[in-house]
Amino acid sequence: MKKEKLLEIINTIKKNRNEVLINSIDETSDLRNDLGMESLDLAELTVRIEAEYDIDIFEDGIVNTIGEILNKLENKR
Amino acid sequence: MSFFYVDLSVNQSKTWEKLFFDLKGTKRYNKYCQDADFYNVFKQIILSLLLGEEIVLLDADFSEDEIKRLTANSIYETDDILVNKQLESIESKEDLFQHLRQINKEWQITLYTSGTTGLPKRISHSFQSITRFVKKSENHSSNVWGFAYNPTHMAGIQVFFQALLNGNPIVRLFGLSKEQIFESISEFAVTNISATPTFYRLLLPKFNQYPTVKRLTSGGEKFDEKTTNALKQIFPNAKITNVYASTEAGTLLASSGNNFFIKPEFKGLIKVIENELVIHKSLMGNSDIFSDEWYHTGDIVEIISQNPLNFHFISRKNEMINVGGYKVNPHEVEEAIREIDGVSDVRVFAKSNSVLGNIICSEVVINNDSLNESLIRNQLQTKLQEFKIPRLIKLADKISTTRTGKIKRN
Repeated sequence: MKKEKLLEIINTIKKNRNEVLINSIDETSDLRNDLGMESLDLAELTVRIEAEYDIDIFEDGIVNTIGEILNKLENKR
Repeated sequence: MSFFYVDLSVNQSKTWEKLFFDLKGTKRYNKYCQDADFYNVFKQIILSLLLGEEIVLLDADFSEDEIKRLTANSIYETDDILVNKQLESIESKEDLFQHLRQINKEWQITLYTSGTTGLPKRISHSFQSITRFVKKSENHSSNVWGFAYNPTHMAGIQVFFQALLNGNPIVRLFGLSKEQIFESISEFAVTNISATPTFYRLLLPKFNQYPTVKRLTSGGEKFDEKTTNALKQIFPNAKITNVYASTEAGTLLASSGNNFFIKPEFKGLIKVIENELVIHKSLMGNSDIFSDEWYHTGDIVEIISQNPLNFHFISRKNEMINVGGYKVNPHEVEEAIREIDGVSDVRVFAKSNSVLGNIICSEVVINNDSLNESLIRNQLQTKLQEFKIPRLIKLADKISTTRTGKIKRN
């Protein structure tokens, strides 16, 4: 569920930048290297995730992969 | 027309005769004035002038706690004074003007700045500094003022004195609906309106014309070309003037566009240091906050020519948003969004962010249902650098403003 929502959020950001949408993500996908996100995209990602789940994923430092984000969302529970 | 004040939204109308009658019937005076009824505020200011006593204006929506803090509790220790001055002799506007020509030098008006940062600050002005920009002449005697500000704030006070000293009627527009505003303008043949750009933007779009209006004055924010042009359609006979005023200094500069010149009498008293407008203390009101010879306004300007000094306003110093080390001027972004067809109003603000420090967000009011977030964004990509484009664009019904009607930044 969370993975699908995350994909949707990432694609919202991609779409807003007129970039090619992504079909799927997995735990090892790297935000910068695999998904091509730069700092402004990451900033937007944090705001959108925060709006959805009320958690700031970058609060204690940089996260690199989808798996790390999912972990943070899980731990919050 | 012999009315002094009208408010169409509550069917309130007061003639000058009624004002004189009410003044004569006043037995007590207290310098603290907090009243939601504009007429009562105006009446109280006039009474203070006639008595030569200080008046302290408090916003109608200040809470008891706020007032206690602002006045350091002195509001509850100030007794009413008995009005024993002969006010019977005031039967006409001419009688009133006669009295107003002999204002007691001790008279002062005290107000609180809206305080976008922290607690409101207390500022006092003399009759001379508060009426510095009032123009009084035969030409102004038939004006009818649209009143579009809070009467306890500097801009409202300026309009009040301009109207009072020329004996002009005041028509309330502040806080009315768009329909009521236009109805008031048309029914009372309003000739002059002074308001924030945000107030004017909320009047758009409108397809009727209102030829009685001769002058529109604006200030408080930069005025954009799209709004100016739209206003020229609605008010075909109006000249548009931009004014620079602040609670701290009163009105200082006026211009027909966005470029400001310094009047000869202020030469050497207004200057630009490191792109910031600074004002000599001799032009300021009285307050504890002015300890230095020069007051730093926090308004960032761009100089066009040095002699004579000519400049335009860029932004507020503390309004620049830092996005990962890049400085973003919210006014520039707002202007770019406002130029998009179908956008009627916009607010750009910062949201704090753990990655970049801040992220640019905006609220947009649209008048064309086919417009959406990604269409707005697409258009901005041709106008703005990527880091200046809001990352979150929310469509909203209306834009949040501060108590003086300026755009909220956080």
